[in-house]
Amino acid sequence: MSEIKVGKYIVLRDLLYTESDEWVRIEGNVATVGITDYAQKKLRDIVGVDLPKLGTKVRIGESLAVVESVKAAADIFSPLSGEVVEVNQELTSTPELLNKDPYGKGWIFKLRVSNQDETKKLLTAEQYSDKIRGEQ
Amino acid sequence: MFRTPLLNFEEKLGANFGEFAGWEMPMSYSSYQEEHISVRQGAAFFDLSHMGRLRIRGAQKEVERLVAKEVSRASPGEMIGPTAFLTDKAGFVDDVMLYKVSDQEFLVVTNAINREKVIKWIRNNSSLDVEDLTFQLVMIAVQGRKIWDFLERIDLPFLRFMLNSKLEGRDVFLLSRSGWTGEDGIEFWSTPDVAESLLSSFISRGIKGAGLMARDSLRQEMGFVLYGEDIDETVNPIEARYWVFSLEKEFIGKEALVDSLKQGVDKLRVGFKLPKKLRVIPRNGSTFKIMGIPVGRVTSSSFSPYLERVIGMGYVDSKHFFLGGSMDVEVRGKDYNVKLSDFPLLK
Repeated sequence: MSEIKVGKYIVLRDLLYTESDEWVRIEGNVATVGITDYAQKKLRDIVGVDLPKLGTKVRIGESLAVVESVKAAADIFSPLSGEVVEVNQELTSTPELLNKDPYGKGWIFKLRVSNQDETKKLLTAEQYSDKIRGEQ
Repeated sequence: MFRTPLLNFEEKLGANFGEFAGWEMPMSYSSYQEEHISVRQGAAFFDLSHMGRLRIRGAQKEVERLVAKEVSRASPGEMIGPTAFLTDKAGFVDDVMLYKVSDQEFLVVTNAINREKVIKWIRNNSSLDVEDLTFQLVMIAVQGRKIWDFLERIDLPFLRFMLNSKLEGRDVFLLSRSGWTGEDGIEFWSTPDVAESLLSSFISRGIKGAGLMARDSLRQEMGFVLYGEDIDETVNPIEARYWVFSLEKEFIGKEALVDSLKQGVDKLRVGFKLPKKLRVIPRNGSTFKIMGIPVGRVTSSSFSPYLERVIGMGYVDSKHFFLGGSMDVEVRGKDYNVKLSDFPLLK
């Protein structure tokens, strides 16, 4: 898998991103969402996740989950509008997956996307890398 | 911002840095949870070079008037503390560790955020000579239940120290048997190069590097306070249940403290634990509630990897000091049931 390295942070090329440090993988009309390597490193040790309920309908930009680390609690904002069709229950017992494998086993929820046009508002890997660089 | 003189050395060890009390310090190496467990089951070292370290010279009776614990009866080489400097209203100017070198010389370790305040306070309240050693020497703690599996045993009882001593053949300015984690351990002050050489040797023997996040969760398990979070000038030692004073002597703040003892206090410090599966951390300022009525506030909280649950401390109205009972704590608009526990929470 091809990746961009920004300092110690990894950005994957085949994903889309938000300004608020979520990543999105779009397969058909389902979007898988998690937090980026940059986000997990800034939060440090993650100890809990408040997952959304299945069937929750959400609009783009609304808070849908909370990631709890010793340092801070961070809202996870929905990158797209849609309905929650799956949540990663494994995170309830092993929230550290968000630190260990943010782009893989640390995914948080999946949405059935209601408006594909909104994906145009997301950042590409290059744009997101620039955003991180700007915050260094 | 100040930075630890060991920054480059620790960066090579993989430390992640962050700001604490105006200092750039290692927050964690790999994971604070693993570092925390290392202290409870093995041994780890901490860089504490941010802590204020002062040398005080002058008449012992002047020191006695500043400090809430008895100083005169201690012998040279004894650590007096934790104790405190109090305001005339008995609030905490700082909680400190005092080292008695002789009847005319003492060392003080202050909280990093209070270093300059304490220097001024001592000068304003005495004719003692104060010298700031903070930037000349680093301070390292090595702590752990199994520390003597890793280090050569040191002939020093708990809360005793030696000046101009040797640690494994290297010159250290101060070596003490002490710490703030609830485990056995040592602390030493030395030049940065001596510290780097000792730490390299410790690491090769399996002692792990630990950051200030693990230090924070370790002290919370023990119920130890952190200045600025759990105590400050608006809190007195009785409210904090922090027995850092002796009534056998005179000191600044004693009158107010005695009044507080006679009249009782409105709030008391208490520990709490969340149910095991509930991974929500109430932040400083979160409200304790009983039947929806606010009865206090959280001051510190963390996830304890050793107890595998969220723990913390705060203050409740003394009428609602229901140790062993439960109440709610509000986090982001939701109420979570917590159990009030006495310290240490590590039981």
